Amino acid sequence: MTFAERRPVTLLICALGGEGGGVLAQWLVETATRSGYSAQSTSIPGVAQRTGSTTYYFEVFPVPLAELGGRKPVFSLYPVPGALDVLVSSELLETVRHIGNGMTCADRTLVVSSSSRTLTTAEKLQMADGRASSEELLKVVQQYSRSARIFDMSAVAQETGTVLSAVLFGAIAGSGALPFSREAFEQTIRQSGRGVEPSLRGFARAFEIVAGGHAAQTPASAAAPAPAGLPPDLASAFPVSTHAMLGAGHARMLEYQDRDYAGLYVQRMKRILAAERAGDPLGERGFSTTSETARYLALWMAFDDIVRVADLKCRASRFARVRREVKAQDGELLRIYDHFKPGLPEVAALLPRTWARVLIAWDRRRQRAGKTALALRLKVGVHTISGFLALRFLASLKWLRKRGNRFAQEQAMIERWLAAVEQGARSHWQLGHEIALCGRLVKGYGSTNDRGKDSLLHVLGHLAVGGQWDLPQARAEAIRAARTAALADDAGMELDKTLAKYGAAPLPVKAQPIMWVKKRRGTTA
Amino acid sequence: MASESQVAPEHQLEKSFKKEIELLSLGEGQTFHGEGILAITKALLQSGVAYVGGYQGAPVSHLIDVMVQAEEYLDTLGVHVEACSNEASAAAMLGASIHYPLRGAVTWKSIVGTNVAADALSNLSSPGVTGGALIVVGEDYGEGASVIQERTHAYALKSSMLMLDPRPDLPVMVRMVEEGFRLSETSNMPALMELRIRACHVRGSFVCKDNIAPPISTRHLMEEPAKFDYARLAHPPVTFRQEKLKVESRIPAARRYIAEHHLNELFSGRRDDVGFIVQGGLYNSLIRALQQFGLADAFGEAEIPILVLNVTFPLVPEEIAQFCLDKRAVLIVEEGTPEYIEQEILASLRRLDINTPIHGKDMLVAAGEYTVEVMAGGLEKFTDRYLPGSAAQDGKVWLRSNTARRQEIAQRLRAPLPARPPQFCVGCPERPVFAALKLSQRDVGPTHIAGDIGCHSFATFEPFSFGHSILGYGMSLASRAGVSPMMKRRVLSVMGDGGFWHNGLLTGVQSALFNGDDAVLVIFKNGYTSATGTQELISTPDEDDKVAAGDKQQSLVHRNLTIEKTLTGIGVQWMRTVHTYHVERMRRTFDEAFTSDFNGLKVIIAEGECQLERQRRIKPWIAGLLRAGKRVVRVKYGVDEDVCTGDHACIRLSGCPTLTLKDSADPLRVDPVATVIDGCVGCGLCGENAHAATLCPSFYRAEVIRNPKWHERLLDGLRGSVLRRLQAA
Repeated sequence: MTFAERRPVTLLICALGGEGGGVLAQWLVETATRSGYSAQSTSIPGVAQRTGSTTYYFEVFPVPLAELGGRKPVFSLYPVPGALDVLVSSELLETVRHIGNGMTCADRTLVVSSSSRTLTTAEKLQMADGRASSEELLKVVQQYSRSARIFDMSAVAQETGTVLSAVLFGAIAGSGALPFSREAFEQTIRQSGRGVEPSLRGFARAFEIVAGGHAAQTPASAAAPAPAGLPPDLASAFPVSTHAMLGAGHARMLEYQDRDYAGLYVQRMKRILAAERAGDPLGERGFSTTSETARYLALWMAFDDIVRVADLKCRASRFARVRREVKAQDGELLRIYDHFKPGLPEVAALLPRTWARVLIAWDRRRQRAGKTALALRLKVGVHTISGFLALRFLASLKWLRKRGNRFAQEQAMIERWLAAVEQGARSHWQLGHEIALCGRLVKGYGSTNDRGKDSLLHVLGHLAVGGQWDLPQARAEAIRAARTAALADDAGMELDKTLAKYGAAPLPVKAQPIMWVKKRRGTTA
Repeated sequence: MASESQVAPEHQLEKSFKKEIELLSLGEGQTFHGEGILAITKALLQSGVAYVGGYQGAPVSHLIDVMVQAEEYLDTLGVHVEACSNEASAAAMLGASIHYPLRGAVTWKSIVGTNVAADALSNLSSPGVTGGALIVVGEDYGEGASVIQERTHAYALKSSMLMLDPRPDLPVMVRMVEEGFRLSETSNMPALMELRIRACHVRGSFVCKDNIAPPISTRHLMEEPAKFDYARLAHPPVTFRQEKLKVESRIPAARRYIAEHHLNELFSGRRDDVGFIVQGGLYNSLIRALQQFGLADAFGEAEIPILVLNVTFPLVPEEIAQFCLDKRAVLIVEEGTPEYIEQEILASLRRLDINTPIHGKDMLVAAGEYTVEVMAGGLEKFTDRYLPGSAAQDGKVWLRSNTARRQEIAQRLRAPLPARPPQFCVGCPERPVFAALKLSQRDVGPTHIAGDIGCHSFATFEPFSFGHSILGYGMSLASRAGVSPMMKRRVLSVMGDGGFWHNGLLTGVQSALFNGDDAVLVIFKNGYTSATGTQELISTPDEDDKVAAGDKQQSLVHRNLTIEKTLTGIGVQWMRTVHTYHVERMRRTFDEAFTSDFNGLKVIIAEGECQLERQRRIKPWIAGLLRAGKRVVRVKYGVDEDVCTGDHACIRLSGCPTLTLKDSADPLRVDPVATVIDGCVGCGLCGENAHAATLCPSFYRAEVIRNPKWHERLLDGLRGSVLRRLQAA
């Protein structure tokens, strides 16, 4: 093959703004120049530092410049889809984005990608779980690459105390796709002047992972936490497949309140199991309605109130976790401030019904008069003795919780949900299961929590129990759709649309104080 | 954070062009290695430029940034640099070249910058220039572009300016700068040079010449002004003659020079019965597309002759005619719409009665960037028709397989992947304002929001999705003048301090005051034109204040009151200044502005220094304190994962890159919980939002004290022992 028939080695780098892609492109060209090769890089740098997608493109002619007889290769400024030798990427979704744009092909492209994800805003802001499945993404990478080297580049950067660009540089060098020696790459880092040692460490680690084939084809998934054990007397009463969830739920009740409350939990779960057995006597569905109810019932029964939050906030394990999370070293002092804003409803929750009603009615009147709801902005230093004692005091009010207004309200709503699950499970397995899963709607604090419960009760009232339906499957389908819709947006727009589709009434509009905008009118038309 | 891990990012963030400035001073025979835009900058100095101006904007910010920082070196040459307040002022600067034999260069982002400069450009082009005038425009077109997709070429045509579009090879780009000045002087026409994004960032090398100190300069001043010469004014009646001059003498002179000095390049090819005419900037892509079909080799030797237009206006009809004559067909490769070059070639060949079939937009796509693949699609049509069988089969297979593969993957992924637009930086002072606005809209209802250019335009993306229109830089307040009289609720205009000084003060504020409009304007006073790379403004905090500040972490923009004084001076009566991180106060201020009895212009100054600039200042300061073993407090926010219920309301109110999700450790919970990852700068928004929006109580603020004082250590020890005992109890 003559030189003229040889083609340049092509390399596309995908990174996020602020990851040092510009430095990386410069390093590649410097390495090529020092090694005596003709090379070119260019980039779409995006808006630097602002974590949008950026790409860098590099080409090198694989014959030393000295052997070209003064001829100069013409390089492309654009990566050519299907004509890439290497795709290097610091983020898994971005890797797949470029694969989806047709950049890689299975007979030519080596893909070197991080397994780590930097979640997009669209994935993060969902009310439930909007994250793209890494498993699916990895499958796409495998299928559309000649070979794939995947490892957690962010972790390597963090462990070696360097920046991503050094790790990417090592991964590129380790892939063996470029005609430069390892020393030439390392020399470039040395010449860059600052942060040389950590950069070299990150480079070396990435180099070895990629060159040594240590990069996993699929990264190891995090081990699931061991389920809490179920007391033996209870274990015998429930099918094995439900033990993990029931065990966790039972333990949560003990921790949250007391043995009696745990007993109530078990009693309720026995009702659900009986109902599911009636609808599915052979247990063909693995008793997953029971399991799922065990999950959401435990979360609902252990509803978050001042007492619970205060308890969680002053545990020794929490102090240790914060220290770990903020990476405080030995000898460094740690101060922890908690942001609370309890309102009257939170206080009323712990009061007996009559008192609570009076208090809440007063607060509503105030709001109707255009005043803001009463709430206390608190920034509590839990590292201080006074702050800690305040929280400990609140945490000790468990006894008050059971007598409080909210406790009674929650139990009543829980019973409505459970009754619906029971009734559904008996008539049709799918229906019971869908109603059980609606427990997911109940989460959050304050108005978020209220909204979730409103949605749940509305769905129960109009779809699970009320309404005319020919088939229980159709009912189950409607509930599934409504549940998904309720988690689509926090304004309830999707839910109302879905309810309308199934002929149910929309969620009642809640009264909200409005500010009138005064505006001077011109001459009337 | 380990001390070493701080070193590297610090190195990255620091904005210093020391190395670039060294490159600018290279002399004869030395080799320059670097980016295209810096090569152009060097070429200006090699051409003996006397004054340089411009307005920042990607992809040409680098030119003016480096020049401003290189002031000291440039002073030795006698070159004047001006950071202009907008593109109009940069273009007007070229007026120096009308009378005086001064070479001048200005730069900006196009199309938008050229639009702003258009008035001055017309008034410059009409009298014409004596000294060479070069306008380096970043043609912000295609992937990575942030502006409307239009061609700067139109301006060259309508104002009779030269248009250079050099082949993206550093020696050619440098040569075209030098030739551009000579061409401009020969023809008396100002010259535009368009550089696409990838050409600005292309890394290559060229052999330098010595820089030329201009004969007339800040070191060699002119004794006397030019004699009064009415003919050099853009004023009737001489404007009529000037129009004639353009057509009768300037353009012909330019054509002669272009032809004589071979500014356009002709690459021969074996199959010379067909040919390509290509804009210089697209040459490399054309070669790669030909390579895919086996019609060119690695060194650009093509089977088919190529005429490369490094000057795309004016064209040289003889050159074109000679190239097209006796060919069976010619394909014109011209990016963007309308296809001005193609139309001109068609007209000139028709007039010369040359009937060679001309193809262009009939075979290549009409709109959008000419990537290699897009170009290959057009080439395939052309070769199939005129050179059947010549294009290698694997090229065709390659094109088909790309399409098939994309469809296959799209089907497999079912839904499109979530987009990743740029967003506010970690700790950006603008994010809290939009959080407050989101809360305020709950109080007063949704309002029409006139958006603007700048970092704040990231609020148009999730999780905020604010902004009904963007009419141009600094135009938000002006663009609501037709909306607000028709709207029951007040309209909000959003403007950055960059946009305010660029033209918002005059087009917006002055007009609203003059007309007595009822309007609400929020000005982001972050101290810099941040979106273009944090260039300084007249309202940037003084260097002295930065040096004097004991706590370098604090925002310093409140030290410069130029905006407030200007607004007061012009007659703004309702003005509130709010520190942006005070979300609740900001929300109340919005509420007040939307409901106030005051019916005139209401201005909210949202004050908070650009976090990028603060981090540049903070990182070396902290590193220094740590080296000296001094006390340093590091703030980071966090989420208690057992308190978070996975509702993500906090994210919908923030969108901070470091506020993200992780799997819940609780086996009962299915939804991921919020978490704050490394990189949090402790801006405080999480805590402010938790209070202002009454979010869940899972946020904590952690202060980590390194090298604490002895009494702090003592107190901490005491507290620790008491707390541990209580926790054990």
